[in-house]
Amino acid sequence: MTVDGTAVAARVSPRYLLSDFLRERAAVGGVHVACGQGVCGACTVAVDGIATRSCLMLAVQADGATVQSVASLHELEGLSPPRSPPPSSGVPEAAHLTPLQRAFREHHALQCGYCTPGLLVSTALFLARNETPSRDAILDHLNGHICRCTGYANIIAAIESVRP
Amino acid sequence: MKPAPFHYTRPASVTDAVALLATHGAGARILAGGQTLMPLMARRIERPACIIDINRIAGLDGIELSSSHIRMGALVRQEQARRSDIARHHLPGLTEALAWVANPVVRQRGTVVGNLVTNSPGAELPAVALALRAEFVLRYPHGEDTVPAAALLTHAGPAAAGALVTHVLWPRRVQAAGFFEVARRDGHAPVVSAMVSMGDGDCRVALSGVCATGLSCATTAHLIARDFPRVPSARELAAALKHDLTGPLYGDADSPARYRQEVAPEIIRRALQRLPPDASIGAAPSTP
Repeated sequence: MTVDGTAVAARVSPRYLLSDFLRERAAVGGVHVACGQGVCGACTVAVDGIATRSCLMLAVQADGATVQSVASLHELEGLSPPRSPPPSSGVPEAAHLTPLQRAFREHHALQCGYCTPGLLVSTALFLARNETPSRDAILDHLNGHICRCTGYANIIAAIESVRP
Repeated sequence: MKPAPFHYTRPASVTDAVALLATHGAGARILAGGQTLMPLMARRIERPACIIDINRIAGLDGIELSSSHIRMGALVRQEQARRSDIARHHLPGLTEALAWVANPVVRQRGTVVGNLVTNSPGAELPAVALALRAEFVLRYPHGEDTVPAAALLTHAGPAAAGALVTHVLWPRRVQAAGFFEVARRDGHAPVVSAMVSMGDGDCRVALSGVCATGLSCATTAHLIARDFPRVPSARELAAALKHDLTGPLYGDADSPARYRQEVAPEIIRRALQRLPPDASIGAAPSTP
């Protein structure tokens, strides 16, 4: 499969989950595994352009698929990737952030950050499908993500701020 | 939180999938959207010996309109159906009911047929299929069969063991429908859901979550039809519903059977209030 623009080939057992494959075989740190049973949304990635809980998909199901994690957020938001790669550790500079990431930062829409990568991927795809979502549509969208820090109000404010 | 080992197969055709079902018998499970099956496998509640992944079978992802039916393939995703113009214009109530199912990410993978054949008391669509008089197309190794949803969804556990449900057929006889449910939290499995449909001189009421299977409520529907457009009180509906609750009641630690039984009349009443203002029972079709 293609993961964030890089071809990854491996032989795995059928029961190996896509979430584990992405973390352990494709070294994608932005796939966070929390509940492991499709409830929390932290492991959400795009599989062939569709938001998917990677813990509910077998790696073998994604054979040949194009998978995008939060590392592909620029592409998911319809932007060209930044000219210089973001630093591998530490706080990224503003130039490396997407509009959605900047909105999350400005509205304090994260604290511990565990749910954030899944939320960013899922929200980028949500905004691509719904150009001007109503508040109810945003709440429906957030039903798929559990955040134990923010109480969601700041996440809603961040998403509303990037509505065109 | 990881599935137990299993044998994985990915048939390229319905014929191959049905042959695999016949070979592997009761230990085989069909994998379509995986939004119900995969969590159960992660928790080892389901330990299938063989997974038959039907996602790469061509021709099962369409929504087609004919003069009598809307035909949906086994790979039609819930969100695809919810956003479909055919469903919105020709299948009253389905679009509204699908909006209650889980959340948009899960709905983009989870299938309509999967939600139906899992036949769980915590699923919305069994009530919808019963009230809309849906039918299933079953494929066996030696042929095809079309059976009413009621024949499949009123038995506990997954429907249609041994056969592949290739399509669900929604008849175009229903003119209006209303859906309502109560859940412990938005986007979570419903405790009780109700669908009321009207059309062709007939009113149908169906419930999920009160019995272990979907439940058609003929006596309650008769009361509603008799009094329409007056909406009966929850007390009147409860009295009628008593006659419909013939099977064993369903309950769990969070929502015991007694609560489900008590809340059901009010959920039916709210589904009824969600019928469009111009709803009517209509006239029975003249038989040739």
